[in-house]
Amino acid sequence: MRETPLAGGLALALLLLLAAPSLVVAGASLTAGEIVQFPPEGLSLRWYGRVLEAGEVRDAFFRSLEVATVCTLLALPSGTLAAVALARWRFRAALAIQLYLLLPFTVPLIGSGIGLMLLFGELGLLGRVWPVGVACCVINLPFMIWAVAAAVNALDPELERAAASCGAGPVQTFLLVTLPALAPGMLAGALVMFVLALNEFLVSLLLVDARTVTLPVQIYTQIRGVITPDLAAVSTVYVLVAAAAVLLLDRLVGLDVFLRAR
Amino acid sequence: MALSSGRPGLRAGPSAGAPYRLSWRIFDALEAVAARWPARAEGTVKWLLLAPALLVVGLLVFGLLVMADASLRVMDFRTYQLSDHYATANYVRLLAWGAFHATLWRSLAATVLVTLACLVLAFPYAWALTRTASPRLRRVLLVGLFLPFFVGQVVRAYGWLVILGQQGLLNQALGLLGLGPYRLLFSYPTVLFGLVQYMLPFAVLMLAPALAAIPEEIERAAASCGASRWRALFRVVLPMARPGLIAAALVVATLTLTDFAMPAILGGGTNDFLANLVHDQFFRTSNAGLGSAIALVLTLLGTSVAGLLLALAGVGALGVRGAR
Repeated sequence: MRETPLAGGLALALLLLLAAPSLVVAGASLTAGEIVQFPPEGLSLRWYGRVLEAGEVRDAFFRSLEVATVCTLLALPSGTLAAVALARWRFRAALAIQLYLLLPFTVPLIGSGIGLMLLFGELGLLGRVWPVGVACCVINLPFMIWAVAAAVNALDPELERAAASCGAGPVQTFLLVTLPALAPGMLAGALVMFVLALNEFLVSLLLVDARTVTLPVQIYTQIRGVITPDLAAVSTVYVLVAAAAVLLLDRLVGLDVFLRAR
Repeated sequence: MALSSGRPGLRAGPSAGAPYRLSWRIFDALEAVAARWPARAEGTVKWLLLAPALLVVGLLVFGLLVMADASLRVMDFRTYQLSDHYATANYVRLLAWGAFHATLWRSLAATVLVTLACLVLAFPYAWALTRTASPRLRRVLLVGLFLPFFVGQVVRAYGWLVILGQQGLLNQALGLLGLGPYRLLFSYPTVLFGLVQYMLPFAVLMLAPALAAIPEEIERAAASCGASRWRALFRVVLPMARPGLIAAALVVATLTLTDFAMPAILGGGTNDFLANLVHDQFFRTSNAGLGSAIALVLTLLGTSVAGLLLALAGVGALGVRGAR
């Protein structure tokens, strides 16, 4: 810190800016009053109780959980196997394959969303919850591949050779040596996929109808009207989930990996 | 390990004296099946492993094809059906449509302003992150980057609504001082502000590795050669950080150009971007053809910017080093 007082001070000011919306939402959710205001009218958890009983918000929350679960269950095997294949085998069209698998990141969300909406419409899948999970998997799959690929690259091939020389066949080696070694990367990828699907907004907005609204879409529709504290309460749940995810990720892979020079 | 904790199974064969575990039997069977796999079909295994991911992304490709197809058909407003024949009418209409042009320029201007602001702000943040001697500060700054990423755009925009609204926290606080209330929401500057604070973590994450790659000795060398701190910053550090700056700029630019939520929530329909225009074409005027055409133009714009990033940074973004 001694060497970077100016940058450090600026960074802390920006940190406050980044944290402000989350802090305000969490603060507003604790009000005992009827409206979101400053300073809050006493403290209470009653708006959290309201969320638990209220139909719409709670239903939307459970739908979002379903979306996130479908997304993760699809991403985990497909992303893991692809990462293993790409890291361990030589492909003639390796560059083309990587560019293809990166398409979800290079195509803007509005493009992917509209495309999937039209495709699912043709297939008669609109208005259901699980296709939203599939769509979330499509748009975020590179995160999953990326997380597992990092683990594959870090895995010493000697370990697998050692297993083979101890008499393990290829299947046994893969299931008992390779997969456990990749587990932290898989878990990190799954976590990212789950949380991102939980708060995916634009693609959800395009794919749902009035009966299958997910939580981010529900929040979006409600904040266009009167802003009530029960929305702040459910938003705070998101902030808490995000905080838990960040701490878990730090444990699993260490956030410092993102600072490493490439 | 799972293997050693398996319970002793049935005895294998009449002659075996030691218990032969059930898990061993299962693995024997699996290995036997795997051994049946013809050696010359080894090459298909890797493709089988890759297939699920290729199929998942295939949905996206299919979707884009359907979208391109729809963009070449004209909506008939008597029947609300797209025409059977292909026509370029949607694209021709975009060329002369005032609302599209206004939205395009608004989005492009925002892209330039937000990108510049993000670079200026991300630099000190990334600098403090990579150069601080305090592990605690580094940790706090890192968590501060990832938390907003996982909180999601809608919740964050909602937070700003609560802060900036007519009866929001800021106006209430100003009211205590006898000022205001000011109308802060639903304006272009507010949308830009929301975008900057949303994109900042992305910019820092793209910039930080580039700054981490610059050895501190180089700064010290510049200082010992008589360069002031600022001179060293502008003449030595910034040029060396250029790859990171370019990467950050391209990521922020694509995300800003194609953003939907911030203009929708903080702009409240008064400051729509291209993505909002696409949404309106589908859900307000029910013109799937025109909406698809705008979406395709936007996709091509965004994808070419992102493609530029890949060309400059290499495909390393997937983190796959390839077979050794």
